[in-house]
Amino acid sequence: MDTVLAKEKKILYAPEISEIIEAKFLTATEKFFKIKLPGGRDLKHIPGQFVQVSLFGVGEAPISVCSSPTQKGFFELTIRKVGMLTEKIHELEAGDKIGIRGPYGRGFDVNAFKGKDILIIGGGIGIVPLRSLINYIIDNRNDYGRLIILYGAKSPSELLYRDELKMWEEREDIEYHVTVDRSDENWKGNVGVITTLIPPLELDLENTIAAIVGPPVMYKFVLLALKSKRFPEKNIYMSLERRMKCGVGKCGHCQINNLYVCQDGPVFNYLEVKGLEEAI
Amino acid sequence: MDKKKLSLVQFKRVRLNEKQLRNFTGFLKTKGRVYAPHRKGEKSFSFQEVDDPSKVVFNYPRTILPLKKFFQPPIETLLEFTINDNSYELPDIDNKNKIFFGVHSYDMQGVLRLDYVFSRGEPEYNYLKRRENSTFIGISFEPDEYHFSGSVGIDVENTEGFSIFIDIVDEDNYVVFACDNTGEELLKEYGIKDFESGEYKLKEREFKAKLKYHYGRLPQIFEKCYNYDVWKKVSERCLGCGNCNLVCPTCYCFDVEDDVDLKIEMGSRTRRWDSCMLNEFAMVAGGENFRKELYQRTRHRLHRKFKYITDHYGYPFCVGCGRCSQYCPADINMVEVVNDLIKEHEEREKVYV
Repeated sequence: MDTVLAKEKKILYAPEISEIIEAKFLTATEKFFKIKLPGGRDLKHIPGQFVQVSLFGVGEAPISVCSSPTQKGFFELTIRKVGMLTEKIHELEAGDKIGIRGPYGRGFDVNAFKGKDILIIGGGIGIVPLRSLINYIIDNRNDYGRLIILYGAKSPSELLYRDELKMWEEREDIEYHVTVDRSDENWKGNVGVITTLIPPLELDLENTIAAIVGPPVMYKFVLLALKSKRFPEKNIYMSLERRMKCGVGKCGHCQINNLYVCQDGPVFNYLEVKGLEEAI
Repeated sequence: MDKKKLSLVQFKRVRLNEKQLRNFTGFLKTKGRVYAPHRKGEKSFSFQEVDDPSKVVFNYPRTILPLKKFFQPPIETLLEFTINDNSYELPDIDNKNKIFFGVHSYDMQGVLRLDYVFSRGEPEYNYLKRRENSTFIGISFEPDEYHFSGSVGIDVENTEGFSIFIDIVDEDNYVVFACDNTGEELLKEYGIKDFESGEYKLKEREFKAKLKYHYGRLPQIFEKCYNYDVWKKVSERCLGCGNCNLVCPTCYCFDVEDDVDLKIEMGSRTRRWDSCMLNEFAMVAGGENFRKELYQRTRHRLHRKFKYITDHYGYPFCVGCGRCSQYCPADINMVEVVNDLIKEHEEREKVYV
């Protein structure tokens, strides 16, 4: 009579014990980890996807992958210290072990973006998942049009990936603009919120994809700024953050109205979440 | 009414008295573990493993908890770990034969809905494995002031999922239907040789609690009700305790936690029932909460019952058991809330159309 059968013994909640091969602080609150899955197997993720990271005895949380899948044999995470689990993860060094499940969720559709200009808008640690997309585009540079990166942080000391920022700034085929809310004595660049970078942009509106990741409050203002440029809504993609306990559409924690961030997202087309009150 | 008769008429049946039915319950124990309703308090009942068949209650309004507790236990070990060497083991999942005796149709429907949830997308081994080798024996009930399963398309005599269905005629008169081969074999093994068939007159059973609209019309209400006043009105009384989630046959959301021993050497990762009515449920790192108001959580819970999952499942994810109403400490009644939504909908449509 059984209408359901337990098929292969695939335990959704069993992590793979993986090795940290490099660990370094990027700022006082963000730490960068290079991680190797058992046997050096590739994670095979898509930019924008996340993994469930766990430490036995402390717990598990979703973390965006910040490296491009074009890099083989390892993947990278940048983790901000916000709670007990991330505080414990910050104590880990190269050689330590960590539990990984995934990759999960829907990332950026990099194939559909081919041939388009890409406008990246990252605020704070929103740059973390975007770095995966940026590096993917850099490694497949001929497949894409202009690469415009807007990056905003609260202060210069909170800027992540500083070596790479320099490279983005120097490369002729990347248009990189950065701003900080509050400058310090050494800062010579833009000061102001990230939306101040949008009005001066000259864009081929029909042929540009915007990929936005940042804190909830940022979306509202960035969306407004894009709207006043008449940027087509259908070309806007954004990644949303939620607490997740399973990553596979069961536990219910990440639900935004009828959408599961872990399955339907974290990357959404703006039109998919536009009318949803719980989205941002 | 005719359709109901038809579905039961297709099955072979036998008439048993109370003593015989208790004997049959005892016989079932030779086939696996048997779970059946037992009296818990003066007015409360609970599914418990049958030890003494004379203790089984045949005629009961509803149990406190639905059957989900057997397939998705309130606290379940997902893995057992050793901290120092980062190793872990997966616990064995018990899939031995289980027979659930005396199940009401709405609770069976609750199990079928959870089956859908846990086999959809990424199938969940833990649930599905535990769910294997389960046989369900249904029983009729007299709807009380809380039952409204008739309004969500589940009759008292709905036999879907059952191997055997028992219609209670009176306290010494039970008509036992063999709904599938498993059921027929069980009855034969017990010693039933002669089955009756043909015309069977079913008792008229009326639901006292009713939704004002057929369930097929509810999606059109839920399409428009997002900003209705009802949500805020209900939340003025709601305590946000999450009781309704715990007793609901189709609530399955969970939390995952690590527990460690005092030496901080070993521990287990467990999952526990969680509740979308609790304030922390939609909180994210850094303290942002996407449903911080009680009315938003009430609205979310009801949308999960009548809209979100219904959109792809086809039926309400509420089975009309009435538990959330009966066990609500603030006396919030599901039928009243939905009927209030319908009323507000009618008023608004009249005003604005």
